[in-house]
Amino acid sequence: MKKLFLCTCNKTLDKKLDFLRIEKELKGVFDSVQIHDALCLKEGLAFLESEVSNEDSVVIGACTSQIIGMPMSEKLKTESVSFVPLREHVAWVHSNDLKGASNKAVVLLCDAAIRVDHMDSPTVVENHMEKEVLIVGGGMCGLKVAADLLHLGIDVTILEPCPWDDTAYVEAGQFMADKNTLTKMVKELVSATASATTICCTITGLEGRAGKYGVSLACLDGKVSTIDCGSIVIATNVEQKPPPMAKKLLYGKSDRTILLGNLATLVEKQGPKDVRTVLVAVDPTHHLSAVEGGYLLRVVTEAAKKGNTVIVAHSNIRTDDENIYRAARESGVIFVRGTLEKAKDTKDGMVCRLENTLESQIREFVVDLLVLQTMTRPRGDTAELARIAGLSLDEDGFITTRYSKNKPVQTSKRGIYIAGNGKMPMSIDDAIASAGNAALEVFKDIRTTTRRKGWIPIIDEEQCDVCEACIEACPNDALRLVDGKVTHISQHCEFCGICVSVCPTRAIEFQSHSKESWFARLEALAENHKKMEGEKPFTFVYACSECANASIDLAGFTGKGYPTGTYVIQFPCAGMVSPIEILKGLAVGAERIVVAHCPPGGCHHQTGDHMAELVVKFTQDMLRSIGQDPERVKATYMIAALPNKMQEEVAHRG
Amino acid sequence: MDKRDQLIQKLRNIAVKTPENDVEVPEKVEGFGTIEYGAQTCSACKKCILACEPAALDMDPTMNLPDYLKATIPHDGFRSKNRESLVTLLQGLREEGNVVAISVPDGLPGYGSIAWAADRCIACDKCIEACLEDCLTLEKTYKLPEIIGEVKPPPSITVSKDWEPFILCFVCWECSHAAADLAGLMHLHYPTNIRTIRIPCLGAVEPMHIMTALENGVDGVLLTGCLLSECHYGGDSPKAGNFMQYDFVKFWMDVLEEIGMGGRIHIDSASAAMGIKFADIVKEFTEKIQNLGPSPIRGKLEVR
Ligand code: SF4
Ligand code: SF4
Ligand code: SF4
Ligand code: SF4
Repeated sequence: MKKLFLCTCNKTLDKKLDFLRIEKELKGVFDSVQIHDALCLKEGLAFLESEVSNEDSVVIGACTSQIIGMPMSEKLKTESVSFVPLREHVAWVHSNDLKGASNKAVVLLCDAAIRVDHMDSPTVVENHMEKEVLIVGGGMCGLKVAADLLHLGIDVTILEPCPWDDTAYVEAGQFMADKNTLTKMVKELVSATASATTICCTITGLEGRAGKYGVSLACLDGKVSTIDCGSIVIATNVEQKPPPMAKKLLYGKSDRTILLGNLATLVEKQGPKDVRTVLVAVDPTHHLSAVEGGYLLRVVTEAAKKGNTVIVAHSNIRTDDENIYRAARESGVIFVRGTLEKAKDTKDGMVCRLENTLESQIREFVVDLLVLQTMTRPRGDTAELARIAGLSLDEDGFITTRYSKNKPVQTSKRGIYIAGNGKMPMSIDDAIASAGNAALEVFKDIRTTTRRKGWIPIIDEEQCDVCEACIEACPNDALRLVDGKVTHISQHCEFCGICVSVCPTRAIEFQSHSKESWFARLEALAENHKKMEGEKPFTFVYACSECANASIDLAGFTGKGYPTGTYVIQFPCAGMVSPIEILKGLAVGAERIVVAHCPPGGCHHQTGDHMAELVVKFTQDMLRSIGQDPERVKATYMIAALPNKMQEEVAHRG
Repeated sequence: MDKRDQLIQKLRNIAVKTPENDVEVPEKVEGFGTIEYGAQTCSACKKCILACEPAALDMDPTMNLPDYLKATIPHDGFRSKNRESLVTLLQGLREEGNVVAISVPDGLPGYGSIAWAADRCIACDKCIEACLEDCLTLEKTYKLPEIIGEVKPPPSITVSKDWEPFILCFVCWECSHAAADLAGLMHLHYPTNIRTIRIPCLGAVEPMHIMTALENGVDGVLLTGCLLSECHYGGDSPKAGNFMQYDFVKFWMDVLEEIGMGGRIHIDSASAAMGIKFADIVKEFTEKIQNLGPSPIRGKLEVR
C-alpha cells in the first residue's frame, strides 16, 4: 500500500498549510493519508512504526530532520520511503500564501509518490582494503607519514632508491628550514620510525586499485619483487636545479659561479680568515616561491655573519617569515634591485653587470663568487614514477592533486596520496602538516567501514558504444576499460552520477535516477502544477544534495521566502544533470531551470560544479541556436552560508 | 604518397576546368564514393575514426544542431534512446530562426561531429561497419568539385596544320590483340595514330594508367577487350574484367567530362575474328579525337 504521513510540526504548520485540503487532493494518489502532530517525537515515531508494514511504500511530508527515517529503516527498505521537507521547502518559505503553499505541497507530494515507484534498492559495496601502506621516498615527509601511521598501529614500508642516514635527511631538507630545526626533527622521526620496514628499491610497475595495489619493484641488490598494499603515499623529494640564466652567467665554465647550496656548504666550513665578496643573483624568470625565498635569506644571513660581504641582486623575494628578512638585513646583507645581465671572469674577480630597468641604472660589482639562486624542482625520477602510477604532473614536473582545495593530498588516482614537496616546494611546517594530512587520509581509508550502501551507476553493455566519455569524466577513477568493456570499480565510486550526464547513449544509468524516472517526474510535476495553479509560471531548481540543498533548507529556517511555483528537485550531485533533464524541464513548461551546485572548488565529488557549469553553458548554446531564450537556464552555486541565494535566484522575471 | 593521393594528383594535373558537379559512381565501381554522416545519433565514440585506414575521418568539436533538428526518428527509434530524447526535445523546443552548429565546450566529453575528407576516402565501408549508431552511409557519388578544387585554364595551344592525334590503345592479350593481328593479316588500313599496349585483361587497366597517359599529353585512350560475356578471365560473370571495366570507363568518362577532358576515352570490344571491327573502332575513335583537337594538356606541358 502507498501511504502518506504528514506532520504539522507541533501544530505550527497548519496555519501555513491547509492540511485538510491537501489530504483531500491526495486521496486518489495514496491509499491512506494520515496527519500527525509530531512525527519526530517518541510518540510520533512509535505511531509510524505501528502504521507501516514491509509491504508498504511510504511518503513522509514533514521536515528535513533525519530522525523520522529511523524507526522505518527496520521495517521498510530504503527504496520504499520518500521524504518531502514540507516545512523548510514549503511552509516556512511561503508563509503568507496559504493557498499557494498548499498547492505546492500537493504537487511535491505527488512527485514523491512517483519517485518512490522508481527507487531501486541500494547496492552494497564491499571494500577489501589491504592494511599495508607503501611510502615512496623516505625524506622528512616520508618519515613523518610513517611515524604517524606506525603510531596508529599500521604497518608501513618505506621505499628509497638508496640507503639514507641522518645527515642525508638533513641535507635533502636544508631548503625547508635551518639546520638545527632539521637535525632535531630528523632525530625524532628516525627514532619514531625504527619499526618501519625500509627497502632500497624503485617502482617499476603498478596495477590494481585503491585498497589493493600490486607494486613491482627493482631493488638495489638486483632483485625484483612485488609488494601488495592498500594505499601508497608519495613523499618524493626535490632537488636544486640551476636557473635558466646559469649558462649566461658562466655556471660550469668558471669556478667563481656556484649554486646557492654550494655557498651554504662553503660558509659552513669557512675559517675566520677566508672572507669573500659574494654576489647572489636571483633569476627574474624563475617565480621564486616563499620557501625558496626563505632558504635564500637563511643562507645569505649565515654568509654575512661569517664576515663575508654579501650582495643580493633581486627583483622580488618572497618569504612567509618577515623575521628572516630582518635578520638578513641586520647581519649586513646588501640588497640591490636589478637583473644580472652579464658576468665576466677576470683575474681580479667576477665582474657582474647589474641592470635596474626601473631606475635605468647600470652598476658593476667585482666579486670573488657569483652565487645563483637555484630552482627547487621534483627529483629526477618523479616523472617516471608518475608515468608508472598514472599520475599527472604540472608544468614544473610536480605531481598534481585532484582537487587542491578539497583534497590537498589526493592525487588523480584513488588510494595514492602525496605528502610534502612532491606537490610543490614547502616549508618544513607545511610539509610536515601535509604529511600528517596524508597519513590521516590513509588511516581514514583503512578504517572506513568495509561496507558502503548507495545507488551506483549501472552499465548496459548492449547499449554502450565504448566511447569512454564516462571514463574521462569520472573524477574518482571508478570506471575503466577492461577487455574492451567499460567496467565499474564500485570500491572507487563516490555515487555522484557525473558519468551518467556525459554518456551520449545513457548506457550508464544511475540507480533510482534513470532518464525514464526523471521524465515521469518532470511531466507529473508540470501537469500537477497546471492542475493546481493554472497558467502561473513555475521554476525547477535542480539542486545538488550537498551545499545547494543545505542552502535551500537554510532559506527555510531563516524564512527567506520565494515564489510558490518553485520546485526543488534533488540530484545526488549537480554534475549528474545532463542537457536532457534541462531540456525536458523546459519542454514540460518550466519557465526557468536553475542548476544549483556547490561553490567553485567545493564540490563534494570533486568536479560536479564544473561539470554543471559546462553542461548548462552547452545547453544555453543549444537553446540560442534553436531560437529559445538561453536565459531560461542558469547554473549557480548555493551554500549554507548564503541562505539568501535561493531568494535571489528564483525571483520571477518581469 | 599513397596510390589514392597519386591518382588525385594526376586528376588535378590533367584538369583544365573547374569541376562543378558531383559525379555519379556506377554500380560496379568500388573505391569511390561519399560518406554521408548524420550527427543526430552520433555518440562521438571515434570507432569510425579508428577503423578508417586512410585517415579520412576526424573529430570536430562541434554539435551539428541542424542535423538534430531535421532528423526524422525512424519507426523503431534510434539505437540510442538518449539521443532520441535529445532530438525530440530540441525539435519540440525549436522556435523561429536559423539553426547553427555550436561548439562543444572543452572538457565535456560525449559530443562531437565527424569530419570527412573526400580526397582521402577510399569508400571501403570500414567506418560504416564500425559505427554502432548507424550514423554513416555510403553514397554512390564522387565529390569531384571538393576533391579537385579550383582549376586554372591552361594556356591555349595553336594547332599546327599537320597535327595528328596520338592515341594509346590498351588491348587485352586475348581476343582484342588477336583482332588487331587479324586486321594486320587482312591488310586492313586503320589510322597510324595508335600505339597498342598489350595487357592481360581489360580489367587490369588501372585508372592510374589512363591518367598517366593523359597527363603526358596523349590525345585519347582507347580500351578494347573481348566481347562482353566472353572474357577469358571471367566469362559471363558479372565480375569479369571487361564487364567491370565498362562501368569504370563510364565513371572516368564522366569525371573527365567534368574537368574539361571529355570524350577522350573509349571502351569497346572485338573478338579474335573481328579484324574489321577492330579497324573500324580505331578509325572512328581517331576521327572523334581529330574533331576534338589536341589535348589541352599540351598547353600545360609546353609551359612546363
Ligand atoms: S562518475 Fe561518480 S558515479 Fe560515476 S563512476 Fe565515477 S564516482 Fe561513480
Ligand atoms: S559514456 Fe556511455 S556509451 Fe560511452 S563508454 Fe560510457 S557507458 Fe558506454
Ligand atoms: S569509407 Fe573507408 S576510407 Fe572512407 S571514411 Fe570510411 S573507413 Fe575511411
Ligand atoms: S559516426 Fe558512429 S562510429 Fe563514428 S563517432 Fe559517431 S557513433 Fe561513433
